[in-house]
Amino acid sequence: MKRKTVFWIALFAALAALGVGASVLHGPAGTRAVVYVDGEIYRTADLAAVAAPYEFTVETEYGRNTVRVSPGAIEVAEADCPNQDCVKQGAISDGAIPIVCLPHHLVIQIEDQNE
Amino acid sequence: MALLTALELTIWVLEGQIPAPIPVPGVKLGLASVVTLTAMVLLGRREAGCILLMRVVLGALFAGSFSAILFSMAGGALSWAVMAGILGLFPEKLLWVVSVFGAMGHNLGQLLAAAAVTKTPSLFWYGPALLVSAIVTGAFTGLGAMYLVRALRSYQKKQRP
Repeated sequence: MKRKTVFWIALFAALAALGVGASVLHGPAGTRAVVYVDGEIYRTADLAAVAAPYEFTVETEYGRNTVRVSPGAIEVAEADCPNQDCVKQGAISDGAIPIVCLPHHLVIQIEDQNE
Repeated sequence: MALLTALELTIWVLEGQIPAPIPVPGVKLGLASVVTLTAMVLLGRREAGCILLMRVVLGALFAGSFSAILFSMAGGALSWAVMAGILGLFPEKLLWVVSVFGAMGHNLGQLLAAAAVTKTPSLFWYGPALLVSAIVTGAFTGLGAMYLVRALRSYQKKQRP
């Protein structure tokens, strides 16, 4: 019984370490923020080349998101969706975690320039 | 069962109101799953499925959006299927392992739904992070369910000596 408990703890710890490793390895690469709607590239922004913060609006059949781009970071400043998850998430500056606005089929990811 | 449904729904709504400690989409403790798992052990798989289904449907009324119900359903269904499938394989002391696998199923379901809705397969890069989150949250809610099962059992014994 005890050995089984140790086995599962060890297995999950190893999996978690792998997961963290994979995220970190994939994470920091790139400065190109890509805004996708329905999997199609809507707009891109090179976060390394942003001198002054600016905003743009993504308006689609699903709804409207206002995206704010600042030096090194990107965020959804405003959205007319019911849950506001993407707004609450705040700004992202690496590829570890994407911004997803599910109701509007919108994804913002930071990617490698070459990808 | 109705009581457990109400309990799960209440926990789910309450947890949604608490600002997440880490502002990351998809990462939350999933306290409501404590009830699902407890129901699965004490009442049975089908009963737990009913409670979960009611929570998803009623929860959508509170959240008030249709895409949320689909999302919630994808995670809930896969989580339930995984837990129902492996529940018999583990002794009660290892209930938290069942919970971890359930959490993985939940997150995988939501990731699949998100990738399908947004048609953005590169979302799967988010998978490893969600895996880590599932292990941590699944272990905690699983332990919670384990203690709740134990407490409810001893309470039942006291009621009917």
